[in-house]
Amino acid sequence: MTQRLRLDSLTGLLPLVLLLSVWQLIGDPDSPFFPAPSSWWPALFTLGQGDKIIPAILDTVRTFGLGLLGASILGVALGLSIGVSRAVGRAVGPTFEFARALPPAAIVPVATLLLGFDETMKVVVVVLAAVWPILLNTSSGVQELNPVLLDTARSIRLSRMRTLFAVLLPSVMPAIVLGVRVATPIALVITLLVEYLTAVNGVGALVGEAQRTFQPARVYALIVIAGLLSLVVNACVRSVENAVQRRRVGDS
Amino acid sequence: MGRNEEQSIEGASGDGPNRRNRSNPLGVVVIIAIAAIWEALVRFSIADVQFLPAPSEIVVAAQEEIVGGEFVGRLVHTVGVTVLGWGIAAVVGVGLGLLLGLWPTAYRYSMTSFEVTRAIPPITFVPAALLIFGFSLKMELVLVIYGGIWPVLINTIGGVRSIAPELRDVGTMLRLSTPETIRKIVLPAALPSVVVGLRLGLSLCLVLAVVAEMVGNPAGLGNGLISARQALQPARMFVYVMAAGLVGVVLNAGLRATAQVLLPDGALKDISAT
Repeated sequence: MTQRLRLDSLTGLLPLVLLLSVWQLIGDPDSPFFPAPSSWWPALFTLGQGDKIIPAILDTVRTFGLGLLGASILGVALGLSIGVSRAVGRAVGPTFEFARALPPAAIVPVATLLLGFDETMKVVVVVLAAVWPILLNTSSGVQELNPVLLDTARSIRLSRMRTLFAVLLPSVMPAIVLGVRVATPIALVITLLVEYLTAVNGVGALVGEAQRTFQPARVYALIVIAGLLSLVVNACVRSVENAVQRRRVGDS
Repeated sequence: MGRNEEQSIEGASGDGPNRRNRSNPLGVVVIIAIAAIWEALVRFSIADVQFLPAPSEIVVAAQEEIVGGEFVGRLVHTVGVTVLGWGIAAVVGVGLGLLLGLWPTAYRYSMTSFEVTRAIPPITFVPAALLIFGFSLKMELVLVIYGGIWPVLINTIGGVRSIAPELRDVGTMLRLSTPETIRKIVLPAALPSVVVGLRLGLSLCLVLAVVAEMVGNPAGLGNGLISARQALQPARMFVYVMAAGLVGVVLNAGLRATAQVLLPDGALKDISAT
């Protein structure tokens, strides 16, 4: 079964391989639009720019990680309060619907004006964009809980804190993890977006620089790096999700 | 995949789609309260944040922009490009999705390529599009279409592939031709999933339109935002930020209403549940 699956995924790569091969054959390494793929990798290291790649990747990963962490904490806290109380949900509902509809790109200029061009600004924008799926999944996770669970906690007179940490959080955990998984690609995209728009560190800033200095091969190489980064990050989050679900199955 | 984007913050679980139509005075009060506190903070300089305009200043700036400025033209541009790009993305995405969903060979020989390409954050294609198309409307439109295709494509494939085999057997039994099968069986069955893809695609199209306008095509709300930012006129900038948010809300509500009219009741239930 796994053998077959792997073979299937390999055959599925065919169009991409074909496209890149044709591109390589007819592409001119000096083309201003479509430089041949073989020229991408060397372009990363021309003019002594090779040293910038690793720090940029680390910068991007840090902003992404802090942003996702902040979004998780904020999203779970808000999601729990909205899930527990219908009144809170109705009160903040319209405000949040509007905030959620704001295109993250539009927030960037405001954030730079109010917070300046620094790491904090980057993380804040990422949090604002990535918090929604976590918040929504947490609150609907709470709403879908069996009411008997909370009634039981009340009838054995668990304190509010104990109810939160011993009953509520563990039972909503799968919903939270699902929300984090959905938020992961968003957080990465927004990290790259902020970096590109503000030129503050990271892979996104490097892509912008390569574009402004007309180095198309370098742009394509960085696009590939961003793609690999997103594949790795998503695979990590998926394995965490699987681990959480396995543990739950083991519990019951 | 789409399910998590589909929920509303008020928590519609169990109440059906009509819940949203009820008025929500508490929600309005909260918005007014936020505006009032914000106004007070700025007016009495309690929070001395440089460049933070008071809501009243934003309202004044909005009036000026709408009456004498380029606001209306920019709004029309952004909405137009978003809807046009989304429409093209919808046609391409549904078409390609039907092909890949119905034809296992095509699926097997291309899906991994699509998965790998989809993993590349669309935002990194903005610089490439700028190099290829320059600062133009074409560049904006290409980006909007590219970004919008993915959710439509993925959700159409998912919807088509999850159709119960019995349903397709019915088509074979009734000797329906392929186009008839698609029109009478496949499309209706996959529709709820397709609509989820269309909604996700619409928000993505708007985001990419605004980004493209901010860095590339000098038109639309994104450009208004950037020129206000560069002129250090925060009140005008907030007008454009809020406008972009409102466009998102309105487009989404419009699509939702259309779906409610066009879809049979059962399908709608599916959407609000998933």
